[in-house]
Amino acid sequence: MSIKVYLVDDHRLFLAGVRAELSEEFSIVGSAHDVDTAIEEIRGFAPDVVLVDVHMPDGGGIAVVEGVAETTPDVKFLALSVSDQAEDVIAMIRAGARGYVTKTIEPADLADAVRRIDAGDAVFSPRLAGFVLDAFAGAMPSDDDPELDQLTTREKDVLRLIARGFAYKQVARKLNISIKTVETHVSSVLRKLQLTNRHELARWASKRRIV
Amino acid sequence: MAGVAGGLADALGVSDGFVRAAFVTLSTVWGLGVLIYFGMWLMELDRVEDVEPEPAAPHQALGLGVAFAGLLLLLGAFGWWPSSALVLTVGALAFGTAALTDRNMPGPLAALVDPTVERPGRLRMLVGIGLLIGGLAVFAANVGPIYEIGPVLLAVALTGIGILVAFGPWVTRLARDLSTERRERIRQEERAEMAAHLHDSVLQTLALIQRSDDPARMSILARHQESELRDWLYGNAPLDGVDLLSTALREAARRIEADHQVPIEVVVVGDHPLNETTRALLGAASEAMVNAAKHSAAGRVSLYFEAENGELVVYVTDQGKGFEPGDVADDRRGIRESIKARVERAGGAAAIESEPGEGTEVVLRMPVSAG
Repeated sequence: MSIKVYLVDDHRLFLAGVRAELSEEFSIVGSAHDVDTAIEEIRGFAPDVVLVDVHMPDGGGIAVVEGVAETTPDVKFLALSVSDQAEDVIAMIRAGARGYVTKTIEPADLADAVRRIDAGDAVFSPRLAGFVLDAFAGAMPSDDDPELDQLTTREKDVLRLIARGFAYKQVARKLNISIKTVETHVSSVLRKLQLTNRHELARWASKRRIV
Repeated sequence: MAGVAGGLADALGVSDGFVRAAFVTLSTVWGLGVLIYFGMWLMELDRVEDVEPEPAAPHQALGLGVAFAGLLLLLGAFGWWPSSALVLTVGALAFGTAALTDRNMPGPLAALVDPTVERPGRLRMLVGIGLLIGGLAVFAANVGPIYEIGPVLLAVALTGIGILVAFGPWVTRLARDLSTERRERIRQEERAEMAAHLHDSVLQTLALIQRSDDPARMSILARHQESELRDWLYGNAPLDGVDLLSTALREAARRIEADHQVPIEVVVVGDHPLNETTRALLGAASEAMVNAAKHSAAGRVSLYFEAENGELVVYVTDQGKGFEPGDVADDRRGIRESIKARVERAGGAAAIESEPGEGTEVVLRMPVSAG
């Protein structure tokens, strides 16, 4: 049975484009271009994967992720955006999205990302990897859980390779580890991103670090 | 204050300026005005909002005025006030001011300030000014001797007060007009600047896209324009007058992307000011990008820049055809050497890794003093 995908984007043209690209391989169960319709229909259809735009009126992608998480926690979200704004993207991930890709992604890569999200993996685009490295950079006095507040050396290595444009498979080969291990590292980073109390995560993006 | 005066004015059909003046005048009689005001406020007499204020006919207004004057005279006849001079002075000043500045029925001041306001009746103006001058005169005659203020000083003070009352509103209004005008001008300048920018960038690109029938080229143009517009909107521009390496790298990537029709994805972690040393890094990175765009045949090129632990690192990566490092055509060797030489002269290091079929990665490192 093919993966059930739901699309949320306030740009109808983009919606139509993505639908055309994905409909061959996946079953597109529906789409919405506003937050309220999206939440209602996703609750009803219970799709496997939702592609959701970060920037939309009435609360944006975060509102959709949070609205659905209350009632239908099994639905997985992939954030999709043209946005360069790190704080918006990080906020989506912290709200529960399992990945972020830019809208300039190649159709084949997007399909691959959907399959990964459905399998429970995290999907990091080079840009998200950069955002995360930036967010966790610098020594930081950790108050309660130091393990959550820092990335391990290995996790940083993985993120750097992703930021340099390598696919998971290439990352695995370069680090001499299995793809599964790469996925484990990425999932662990995702977990840290969602759970850490690093209070500067919300604010870091407003100030650029100049070394 | 609590809307009592306004409510009463609506109910009586006279303008609230006069009602306020009446309250002020009565207040000089042992604070009677204040007492009545609060009494009415407690009884919520101000809640007459639904009544459509209907201007009283002139004779009605006159009747109210006469009745008020009678009340004052009655109080005076029984000797129930502290000082006739005080009551008369305040009364004359309050009503004079009300006559001149009233909002509902524009007085001469309103006409001075705003030419669209129709000129007030001459009688009103004369009465208002007369009341003001009379009030001031009574005040001067009575208060001057008591406090032994020099007549000149008093005259100066009174003139000042008179000018303040007469022209205060006009001056504040003028100042407000000036600042509004300035804001408006700034807004127009901003709009003109935005229009000029959009014309040079977005409109040009849209025109190019319309005339192009090559999807790859269209996509590059759109991409280029998108990132340029985004920088302009969200201000990835120089910070506090300091040019940043990240900005320069993005610009270089955008230019090369447009020139060579290959998308370049730029990811930046941390930042560093652009100076002599980092300019060498920028130049080498640009050459590496051009190289990848021209020769790799890759669908896209990645640039990753990180500033961490006192070191700047730039990776220019492609997933293209790669090459055998020992087996390089002369022209490309030249480029490679120039990339290396550039970075090394500035105190950094460059490494180029490639394998046929496995793409190419150029790594540039540059130590910087932290801080």
